[in-house]
Amino acid sequence: MSTNIRIAIAELSIGLHSEHEILLEDGYLPFVIETNKAETDITINCFANIPTTTFANKELVFEGKNESQRFYSIYRSNSNLVFVIYSQQNKDEIQQLAILDETLSNWKIYSTPLDNGEIVPLKYPLGPIVMHYLTVKFDAVMIHASCVLDNQKGRVFTGFSGNGKSTLSKIWSDAGNMIVNDDRLIIRKQNNRHYVYNTPMYYIDVPKKAALDSIFLISHSPLNKVKKISGALAVSKVLAFCIQNNFEPDFIQTKLIFLTELSTQIPVYELGFVPDKSVINFILENETEGTK
Amino acid sequence: MNLQTLHKLKSRFVARNVGNELILVPLTANVAQMNELFTLNETGKFIWENINENSTVSEIENLMIESFDIDSAIAKMDIELFLSKLETTFK
Repeated sequence: MSTNIRIAIAELSIGLHSEHEILLEDGYLPFVIETNKAETDITINCFANIPTTTFANKELVFEGKNESQRFYSIYRSNSNLVFVIYSQQNKDEIQQLAILDETLSNWKIYSTPLDNGEIVPLKYPLGPIVMHYLTVKFDAVMIHASCVLDNQKGRVFTGFSGNGKSTLSKIWSDAGNMIVNDDRLIIRKQNNRHYVYNTPMYYIDVPKKAALDSIFLISHSPLNKVKKISGALAVSKVLAFCIQNNFEPDFIQTKLIFLTELSTQIPVYELGFVPDKSVINFILENETEGTK
Repeated sequence: MNLQTLHKLKSRFVARNVGNELILVPLTANVAQMNELFTLNETGKFIWENINENSTVSEIENLMIESFDIDSAIAKMDIELFLSKLETTFK
């Protein structure tokens, strides 16, 4: 029995195919689309069990790890990228193995099946890794940020963990505004306009989209204060919060080009804020129009 | 830090011009290091771009004097400041 599933993230279509039953985590379900179109922007062929293949000319190029845990390793093997995803319960166990071809369009994902035979190809963290390489292929970036849409403007708030992304989202939400997402977003350019999209999370939320009008680099402060920044400073500060695997010069250049253009069209501010509703009026009164 | 050490470091960064400034993004195999980005002002950018394998301080100094209409003492001080700042950054 074969399974074919289509999902769309940031209006980019992903076709998943397998001879096994595919299980999507709950957060992906609202992103499933029904379409008769045969073509998709990227394809993922999903397989059960991790192959024992050895890869020719395998070179370690990147590791996703912190001081206590290794999450994944990326190898280059000839023109392909090979992703080894480790189990977080048993650090020596490989949870999944994935291969991405040089066009960044075709994935093969191998997963250990569940007891009932189902496979979960987009299990964390491979799901976000697939989304990241979707942004590398297309004109987009994935960023740790929240986005709020009021009646008129889409505002992105980004900063280090603990700097107030969720706090600001709640303040805007309590004032009746729509939260696109408060953690991870894709910013994509289409028809000379930048748009913000949410991505599948571990919880269920419907796909959302907002035109982007401004970006705020946030931090807590005893007083509300805002300063517009531009040029290399704006580009580097926004890039610092983008999700990236910095091993390939071309990938980095693509992101730098995208953000250089974005920062000339969308105003970037440093915002120090008091975590109460006063920040909303402060922003409305002090932000200035960008040159869209 | 001397110019030869700096020349070797250049290959570990991707550089992009933004106006008169330069952004340096490190090529790294470790996710924990990827948010260390650097920006160089016009002077820093000039020095970075003119360093090659056999550059000497006096060569860079002369190039700066020609390009920025400054005297030798200021050029020398700018280079020393630049190298000292990078030494701290890349420690």
